[in-house]
Amino acid sequence: MSEKDEYLKFLAKEKEIADKIIDHSRSMISIINRNYIYEKVNSTFCNAHKVTGSIVGKTLGEVWGQETFQKVIKSNIDLCFTGKTIRYEAIFNTPNSGKRFFEVTFHPIVAENGEITHLMADTFDIHDLKLSEQAAFEKEEDFRNLETNLPIGFLRCDMEGKIIHANKAFLNIMELPAEDRAADLNLKNFYPDAGFFDMQFSNLLECHSKSFGRILLNNGNGKEIFCRINGFLAVDEKDIPTFIDFIVEDSTREIMLESRLIQAQKLETIGALAGGIAHDFNNILATISGYSEMLQDDLPRSSASSEKVRKIQSAVLKAQSLINQILTFSRQVEQEKIPVDVSEVLKETIGFMRSALTPKINIRSRIQKRKVNIFADPTQLFRVFLNLMTNAVQAIEDEGGTISVRLDVVDAKRVQHELHKDIVADEYVLLTFEDSGKGMDASLMGRIFEPFFTTREVGKGTGLGLSVVHGIITEMDGEIFVSSRKEKGSVFYVYLPVSKEYADFEASIDGRKKILFIKGNKHESRIFSLALENSGHELIYVSDQKNLEMVMSDIAERPDLIIYMDESKQIRPENLIGLFRKFEINTPCIFITDPDQEKFEEKILNSGIIKQQLFKPVSLKEISNAIQISLK
Amino acid sequence: MAGILIVEDDKELREMLKISLSRRKHTVYEAVNGREAITQFKPGITDLVVTDLIMPDEDGLKVIIKLKEFKPSIKIIAISGGGNAGPGSYLNLARALGADAVFSKPFSTNDLITRIEELLSDEQVK
Repeated sequence: MSEKDEYLKFLAKEKEIADKIIDHSRSMISIINRNYIYEKVNSTFCNAHKVTGSIVGKTLGEVWGQETFQKVIKSNIDLCFTGKTIRYEAIFNTPNSGKRFFEVTFHPIVAENGEITHLMADTFDIHDLKLSEQAAFEKEEDFRNLETNLPIGFLRCDMEGKIIHANKAFLNIMELPAEDRAADLNLKNFYPDAGFFDMQFSNLLECHSKSFGRILLNNGNGKEIFCRINGFLAVDEKDIPTFIDFIVEDSTREIMLESRLIQAQKLETIGALAGGIAHDFNNILATISGYSEMLQDDLPRSSASSEKVRKIQSAVLKAQSLINQILTFSRQVEQEKIPVDVSEVLKETIGFMRSALTPKINIRSRIQKRKVNIFADPTQLFRVFLNLMTNAVQAIEDEGGTISVRLDVVDAKRVQHELHKDIVADEYVLLTFEDSGKGMDASLMGRIFEPFFTTREVGKGTGLGLSVVHGIITEMDGEIFVSSRKEKGSVFYVYLPVSKEYADFEASIDGRKKILFIKGNKHESRIFSLALENSGHELIYVSDQKNLEMVMSDIAERPDLIIYMDESKQIRPENLIGLFRKFEINTPCIFITDPDQEKFEEKILNSGIIKQQLFKPVSLKEISNAIQISLK
Repeated sequence: MAGILIVEDDKELREMLKISLSRRKHTVYEAVNGREAITQFKPGITDLVVTDLIMPDEDGLKVIIKLKEFKPSIKIIAISGGGNAGPGSYLNLARALGADAVFSKPFSTNDLITRIEELLSDEQVK
């Protein structure tokens, strides 16, 4: 065998191997000439089309359809004949399996003279691969959506704490605009104390997974928020840390509710304690008062010693008034409640405040027109409003400012999460008292409802005001909260249940009586009238001497009971006694006075005409009791 | 001049009332709780009872019920300070059970004595 023969034999062998490889390739391999006619196809091609031999000699248009050929294939082939290798993906309709994804590669076959007469097409069925790829993509998309829409903040940081990725919830928690995507931010930026962050961060690097607990952060707007943070360190296959994932949950509301509950429990405990002490104190005061009265009898009327004893008695009265307030705070004073239009009481209180304020302090009010009845003692309600507004005035101090008062009716379902007590009505009155004063910090805010807690100088105020307010509101099944920012001002929120039973309410009295009410100060008297009118008796108002004389002189019109409030400037108590003597009247009379003015009243009480004396602040219960006793 | 029983668990207050009433020439008997009040009570001698309401060992309300049962003409004055259920409601209950007068602590002893003497003179008129 010649060398040439041997070489040809070798070539034939090589060709056979190459043909075999081509034939058994998983790709459909074909040779196409410039007329778009198949000159050769491998068996994979034939199998895919379930034909043998018949493809050779056919045009691509005949095999794949003219439309597909013109639209997808032809341009790529033309490009390949310019000498480029072309690769593209396309969907082809196969005769056996319908539409499938293929990856097509055209290789130009260059002849010895440099001419491209043929090309090799490698058409690979990637349909299954493509489907699983798509499924994986959809899965990832699902996961991405979940992560984006999850109500829990998710955050990925690099090893310096720099934020690589943050989800929507995190941006919401931090009040960051979405465009920012938190880029260029470091988790450290949200920590008020950077050192604390470094400590936690290095701790996480050691432990790989760590719960940071509930941490105080400053959000994007500088607002203080509490977040529960968990960190997870991710490492690569060589155990080298690559990034850190954080889960961030906003627990501000949770902490607020918890602290409110603790606050309520604390106040309950202090209340029980204070109530018990108050009881013992009343015994002690009764003893002091008794002995000093005996002393007073022993001493000559106008002696210096007698004056000292009188001072003891005056101190006892002050102590008594204090104890009464403690008992109100600890809710051991029974409240008599009637349906009251809360907006009316609020308007009266605002009127009262306006008449007493300097023009530097402006009161703005937004009170809804509708009558809103709640079940309450109007005099106590007046006390609550007066107290909150007086506090607001004191917070503003000399610089001047604004107090905004609002009254809204809200659906119980909407405020359910605000209240820690059980919902007792369908609707609640929400009263808002906002001042532009100096505000307070969190530690102060946590204590303001405690009895004897005061920010004023020693000797100015008893520190019982807000604790009494708290007691009265709690007794009405209501709740009071405060929110405040230093140098920005404070807001007090009062929720009171709206009463439905108004229509069914009837004052429990036997026999309607005529009560003459000698009016004192305009606004406070009006609150009292509110209370009295609801008692079911007939009321006559008198605010000057002439009218009083007219009523008293007419025997037929004479009242069954007289109530006198001492702020009245028109009718002096002496004049009242004079009238009693002049017309020989023995109508029972209730005197309502300030506890400080007992000396002035002494001679009136001693005259024997006034049977009952009540000290302000007087509750509806006390008035009702006094009326009941007087009318017996 | 009458026989007055003071029922009060607070020693100082009880003594003060005793001295105060003795000065008005009344004969004063003492009891520290409700149970002692029942044993101390002498129908022929006791004209009037001043009783505290909240006390250990039988409270003042029971004293009122028992003594009014025993001697319906007995005059009873109830005194009370801030208790667990509130002084108002206890005093109202006392009145409902037959107490002739009620005083809320701290009270003016002069007022109390005036009321005591009013009640005693009512008794004499009858």
